[in-house]
Amino acid sequence: MNRRRFLKISGIGSIAVAAGCTAEAEKTLFSLIHAPDDMVTGKAGWYASTCRECPAGCGILAKNREGRVIKLEGNPAHPINQGALCMRGQAALQGIYNPDRLQTPLIRESGGWHPVSFARAAELIIQKARAAGQNGPNRVRLISEVVGDTLSRVFQDVLQQWKSDGPLLFEPHAFESLKAAHDMVFGAPVLPSYHMDQADILVGFGADFLETWLSPVEYARKFKAMHALHNGRKGVFIQISPFQSLTAANADHWMACRPGSEATVVFGLIRKLHSSGRGAEIPGPIQNQISRICDTLTRSEVCRRAGIRKADFDMLSNRIIDAESPLILGSGPGMDSRTAMHTDIGVSLLNLILDPALPRHDFQNRHRIECAARRSDVSAFFEAIDSEPVELLLLHNTNPVFTLPSAHRLTEIISRESLFVVSFTNFMDETAELADLICPIQLPLETWDAYEGKTRVTGTLQPAMGRLTDAPAIGDLLLRCAFSDQQPVSDYKSHVAGQLNIQSPADWVNAVQAGGIFNQSEGPPFNPGLSVGELPLDRMMPDSPDDRPGAGLIVMAVPSLRFYDGRGANKPWLNETPDPLTLICWQSVAQVHPQTMAARGWKQGDVILFQSDFGTIKVPVFEWPGIHPDAVAMTLGQGHTGYGRYAQNQGQNPLTLLAPGQNPLTGGPSYQVPLSEVRALGQNESLAHLDGSRTQHGRAIALTCDIQTCHLPSPDSGQGLGMWDFPLTLPIPEGYDIRRDIYPSHPHADYRWGMVVDLDRCIGCGACTVACYAENNIGVVGEKQILAGREMAWLRIERYLDPDDMQKIIFLPMMCQHCDNAPCESVCPVYAPHHGREGLNNQIYNRCIGTRFCAQNCPYKVRRFNWLEWDRPKPLPLQLNPDVTVRSAGVMEKCSFCIQRIKDGHDHAKNENRLIRDGDITPACVQTCPTHALVFGNFMDPESRVRRLADDPRAYQVLGYLNTKPAVIYLKKIVQTLDNAIVSWPGRPLPG
Amino acid sequence: MNVHPAALHRNKIPVFLTLLSVILIAGFVFFFYTTPGTRIGPEQPIPFSHRVHAGVKDIQCAYCHPYVRYSRHPGLPPVEKCLHCHNHIIRNHHWIQKEHAYFSTRTPIPWKKANVLPEHVLFNHQRHIQKDIACKECHGLVETADRITGKIFLMEFCITCHRQKNANVDCWLSCHG
Repeated sequence: MNRRRFLKISGIGSIAVAAGCTAEAEKTLFSLIHAPDDMVTGKAGWYASTCRECPAGCGILAKNREGRVIKLEGNPAHPINQGALCMRGQAALQGIYNPDRLQTPLIRESGGWHPVSFARAAELIIQKARAAGQNGPNRVRLISEVVGDTLSRVFQDVLQQWKSDGPLLFEPHAFESLKAAHDMVFGAPVLPSYHMDQADILVGFGADFLETWLSPVEYARKFKAMHALHNGRKGVFIQISPFQSLTAANADHWMACRPGSEATVVFGLIRKLHSSGRGAEIPGPIQNQISRICDTLTRSEVCRRAGIRKADFDMLSNRIIDAESPLILGSGPGMDSRTAMHTDIGVSLLNLILDPALPRHDFQNRHRIECAARRSDVSAFFEAIDSEPVELLLLHNTNPVFTLPSAHRLTEIISRESLFVVSFTNFMDETAELADLICPIQLPLETWDAYEGKTRVTGTLQPAMGRLTDAPAIGDLLLRCAFSDQQPVSDYKSHVAGQLNIQSPADWVNAVQAGGIFNQSEGPPFNPGLSVGELPLDRMMPDSPDDRPGAGLIVMAVPSLRFYDGRGANKPWLNETPDPLTLICWQSVAQVHPQTMAARGWKQGDVILFQSDFGTIKVPVFEWPGIHPDAVAMTLGQGHTGYGRYAQNQGQNPLTLLAPGQNPLTGGPSYQVPLSEVRALGQNESLAHLDGSRTQHGRAIALTCDIQTCHLPSPDSGQGLGMWDFPLTLPIPEGYDIRRDIYPSHPHADYRWGMVVDLDRCIGCGACTVACYAENNIGVVGEKQILAGREMAWLRIERYLDPDDMQKIIFLPMMCQHCDNAPCESVCPVYAPHHGREGLNNQIYNRCIGTRFCAQNCPYKVRRFNWLEWDRPKPLPLQLNPDVTVRSAGVMEKCSFCIQRIKDGHDHAKNENRLIRDGDITPACVQTCPTHALVFGNFMDPESRVRRLADDPRAYQVLGYLNTKPAVIYLKKIVQTLDNAIVSWPGRPLPG
Repeated sequence: MNVHPAALHRNKIPVFLTLLSVILIAGFVFFFYTTPGTRIGPEQPIPFSHRVHAGVKDIQCAYCHPYVRYSRHPGLPPVEKCLHCHNHIIRNHHWIQKEHAYFSTRTPIPWKKANVLPEHVLFNHQRHIQKDIACKECHGLVETADRITGKIFLMEFCITCHRQKNANVDCWLSCHG
């Protein structure tokens, strides 16, 4: 540093000190103009609405403080999600408060974007649409995400006004093969819901129902209902797929089959059932067809083609044959369209053979996404725009240029000179970038609407917050544009009320307050009619995997639990929360089997160029045993070139590798492609992953027990001092033992807060982690700081593989254990961690001087240090919870068991002059858990749920032998070894 | 200590500068802490007088701060509420005209915060009011002051009272979090 620079910097310093120097820290308090009836400063208001982050349609309650939504929770009265919410639902807030959200319409003029007023944008739309309508029929086209019936009808009416056909509802994951299979076998292209909870055995051929399949929150709950321990038994779940998704990781047994061989296994099972005399109810012609197809699929042939063990196949078929109420689920993500179709037809037949009445299929209450167009129709839609004289294209909340593999062709069509493209979106995504006019519209939390998540569940949406932009609702805007002064109804809101068939204002208020109208009985009943003719099965002999072309490796593109189809990629929480299996945040990787890695000489993080016939992609590889050696899995949703600062240039998009075409029979796309070239580029990328280790190194961290012995007390637990014989010590005065304890126990007056985590119920979905970010104002650090090990999550899901059987995965939610004998408290030189009188380990931010001794001494590694001031660009700070302080750089922080909610509980109890009751207080993580894996309560109350659960023989404390006396009690995961199922993860030499 | 006059003479510029800075700092400290303006609280956009309203007119605190009994924040009166009276009382006074202007242009009044709580501390009015702690025990005699001087509440102030009244002194459960 030279003298000149020194003077400059010191000059800036003294000016800054002088400028900041006032006697009072002046802040402004704004008063309202009118006081709304339903708003009390400092108190939350709750508004029932419907989540629109995916087509499932879960009910939500939006927590409003001083006019802004700060938290979303599942609506307990809603039949779909019953109070729970997934991480994508939790992160919907970061859509509203996204710093890259467009504030005004933008018009493309002379090569750049220029802001215009909403009135001007509407004028332009009217002008273009009227002209198009006058020039001839069908010159206006509209493509939209899946919307409710009301909005869909408005689209129809509006387009009719402009002499054009109805809208196209487009979803990238539209379940074409499942719909086509149901069409062929049951007579209609429907997506029934499943009574998974009533099954005793569940077999999946890839369906990722815990992540993205149909309605993940609902099925996570139903899955755990069948898979929980009842009278010493639990349901069985077996998954057969080339890639171990989160769903497969929760199976009792996962069989890695060769990519493309799923249908072979299904038809092998049908043959086996057929030969044991099942399926007599199936019409003759189809029976003949089935026998013809299955003829060659003997047990050994199936096992040879699919690469699974005969013992496994026997176990599977015996289990299905013996089952009382089996349910088979069809294809999942990352399959090629042909196999998916064969699998789904086979699965439909299999369900029919196993239980001809189909009691676990609910055809009356079907999933909304069944109205999404088939991919072939979407392609035809865009081709028609190119070949016909279409003048105006309207896009509503949809980003086909990113979510379709045919990006080049779409770009060509959309950027055609004579076509005026209007994108109704709030973000500058890849498709909006090609539009001529971008018109922001109200987001679901700001608008009136209705959405039928299922046939008999109509959810309502209502504005849950003040306005951040002047954007109109899409319904209002289009009605105004199409009908100008002779609108059929005054506004879209009354349109919604009309559609819901609501007579009185009181009924309307009741419906909106409840979040919708549930369990409607209206609608014609649907009876699946088995088609009597021949099925289009002739060309459906499953492929023999031996005649696959290419370099031997196949890429599977699987939808992401975090980003869905990519719409979540602009939300910082979803990027920051790691993938539940790889534990990698921000980046995308290609998951490759260790055998393949070794054979090709790749190392973790090596950047590999993958090339198919359709494109190339450069991705770092990640060694992962949960995949077939022939397959490479990549998750979808990242690799945006636009879509705001958090999504842009983050990760890679595997869609570029995929074939743009569709299966002619189902109209569905293929999410699998053989690789023509695979080449290491000689670079290595550091992976931003959060796992210190994949295994537990023999420590007592995440434990399992066998279903046969789980009701017995562990033989090891006793009065010893070792890792396995240390007794369970509750963090209450009774936990004091003069032989082990140096310090006396802490007195707790009425309450000692604690938690019970049932590892048998935890599916590792990470909803709790994101709920915690939202509730507790946790900073997002970004990829660079993650690489430096500076993540801030208060609650993380640890994932451990079993070293003896790498397909066995256990998830463990880890948060501050609020130890009664806390190692952090004794090392702080300034007493910043302090033991509260209700047992909480208080972290006093004002006292903390940042020595980080506490984090060093914490055996659970749950303390997080603010290395920097974390960036929250405006308007993200509007989401901050005003009941929780925001920590600044240099301060240690950690889980507080949601102290603000505990204080609220005290407030309520004090107002009513009583003690806090069990269940009064629910921390954010406990609230959102789809499987009720977490329970919170008071250990001083001998009748509380946590106290009773702590008496379970499965109860243990993580690293309890350190005598920390944690207040988080874990219940061991119950594993069941299925007869004949021999540990058979791919790559392990098969015995015999 | 003997100072050679020649040394003072030789170093007269440094000595002068040192003396000058000492005088300037002393002056700054004197004016910063003792001038009348530093102790009368922030200047408000409208010189609302608590003495007139709470003192002379004897309006109850909770009339304008209505949520104090059932929320952590007492609440500020909406502009509309001021005009409930001032539509009839001295409506042509020029400060009341300004109030009308805020109302008719739908502009929130940017009041300046006078009472300051340290960072990472949360205070709940409801709990204190329900324990019959009078407003004046913390806020002093606002009915005697035209302009609210406010207070910077420090931990000692809170904890002295909490100890006297045998109230909760748990870090998170009472204040921090």
